Amino acid sequence: MLSAILQALLNGLMTGALIAIPAIGFSAIFAVLRYPSFAIAGYITIGAFAGWTLNVSFGLSMEVALVGAALVAALAAVATEQTIISRLRPSGALTAAIGSIAMNLVLENIVRFFYGNDLRGYDVPLVPDVRFWGLRVGMQQIETLIISIIVMAGVFLFLTRTRFGRAMRAVADNADLARLKGIDPRKVSFVAVALGGALAGLGGVLLGADTSIDPLTGFRILLTVFAAAVLGGLGSIPGAVVGALSIGIAEELSLLVLPATYRGAVGFVAILVILTFRPRGLLGERAL
Amino acid sequence: MSLLTVEGAVAGYGAAEEILKGTAIRVEAGEIVTVIGPNGAGKSTLLKAVAGLLPLKAGRIVFEGEDVTRGDALARARNGLAFVPQERNVFGTLSVDENLVTSAFLWPADARKRADALYDKYPMLAEKRRQLARTLSGGQRQILAMAMGLMTSPRIMLLDEPTAGLSPSAADALFDAIVTLNREGMPILMVEQHAVEALEVSHRGYVVVSGRTEAEGEGRGLAADPEIRRLFLGG
Repeated sequence: MLSAILQALLNGLMTGALIAIPAIGFSAIFAVLRYPSFAIAGYITIGAFAGWTLNVSFGLSMEVALVGAALVAALAAVATEQTIISRLRPSGALTAAIGSIAMNLVLENIVRFFYGNDLRGYDVPLVPDVRFWGLRVGMQQIETLIISIIVMAGVFLFLTRTRFGRAMRAVADNADLARLKGIDPRKVSFVAVALGGALAGLGGVLLGADTSIDPLTGFRILLTVFAAAVLGGLGSIPGAVVGALSIGIAEELSLLVLPATYRGAVGFVAILVILTFRPRGLLGERAL
Repeated sequence: MSLLTVEGAVAGYGAAEEILKGTAIRVEAGEIVTVIGPNGAGKSTLLKAVAGLLPLKAGRIVFEGEDVTRGDALARARNGLAFVPQERNVFGTLSVDENLVTSAFLWPADARKRADALYDKYPMLAEKRRQLARTLSGGQRQILAMAMGLMTSPRIMLLDEPTAGLSPSAADALFDAIVTLNREGMPILMVEQHAVEALEVSHRGYVVVSGRTEAEGEGRGLAADPEIRRLFLGG
């Protein structure tokens, strides 16, 4: 039983690291623009397919696929925000959120139009799992964990060491005061959306390399990403990481006592529990 | 030519009755000017309008000879007006150092140099440079807020009730800091509840009542005026 729990914790850590990347993207957009962008599911899917095209159709490496996916998804996010959502935001966060759900459907169907509904897999070599202390972990999962850590470190450095990163945190903290300091919230919003889209795109490639992709790839993980962001505290970047790891581990532990069908319920339960007992989330006051 | 002139300012929030109903003030180079008046008179609204956070419906604002009435807060920051709000005037989730450096967003080249100069000026900030701003005491926060204003290369500081909520000793220390800053050449326009103390350190003062400028005079003169004291200063 102990090894089953340890294996679930290990799997949860891997799943959580994967969820953390798009969850950080979701939180970055929320922190600056103050609405939950469910279009992030569309950005994940677009990133997954952009990466797949580079990796499989053009035979390029996964590194190139990751960079390309981040760029394409960032572009999709900026275009979505600038053309549609920015017109809805003056009507309030709820309108923008509903608009983002609609835009997710649009993006999903654009992908469906070009690629169809078939499942597609990345061109990644099959490597035997690594075994240690009676536990088992796939090489792909280890690579995903390493990439996630590198990306998280990169986001952390961007937010703490760069002028625009600090400005983003300033706008997230107090947009009026930021304006008084000469920080243009429109420029910062642009950067936040591009960052959110890029992270979602990276998440899409990591998901694709882990399993397979289809036009619903982003939508399927949306609830888990949202739950991670809510659990950690909407708008908090460290919160998104903590929330993602918690949800990942909770999902895997739930498999020890529940049929796999109920795994997706963990996200719903997490949202209900956190909103009931700690509505601002685990790290809601530590917005990065 | 005055440094800052506000003429016939009319402004308010939404469709409600106007808060400013023709307010007029001016600040000359090198002055400390304090605006006093009863609660709800429109003192803070006046500063917000000057800072570009609230558009004027009538009247005009002239700064250094240029009509800046139509600009928003971003444009006023570029024009050299630094507004330090009464509340939520620091980025609580950023460290003291990040607050300073981020405030010089428009002048990134020498942001570090300016922050270091402010650490020399306010050693308390240097000691707490790595602390999150929300962990500072009220007085420390006000000093940080003023230092953040200075990071924007201002040619005038607009202070909204800088001593609100401070202990008497912290308020005295802040008035000292304001006077020192002014002696170094910084013009200051402030709104204060501690009217006597503020007027005593001011070159001139205005009394604003119901959105209109009712009286103007030399700072100490206003502070000593029995009628003003009876009406607004509780004495």
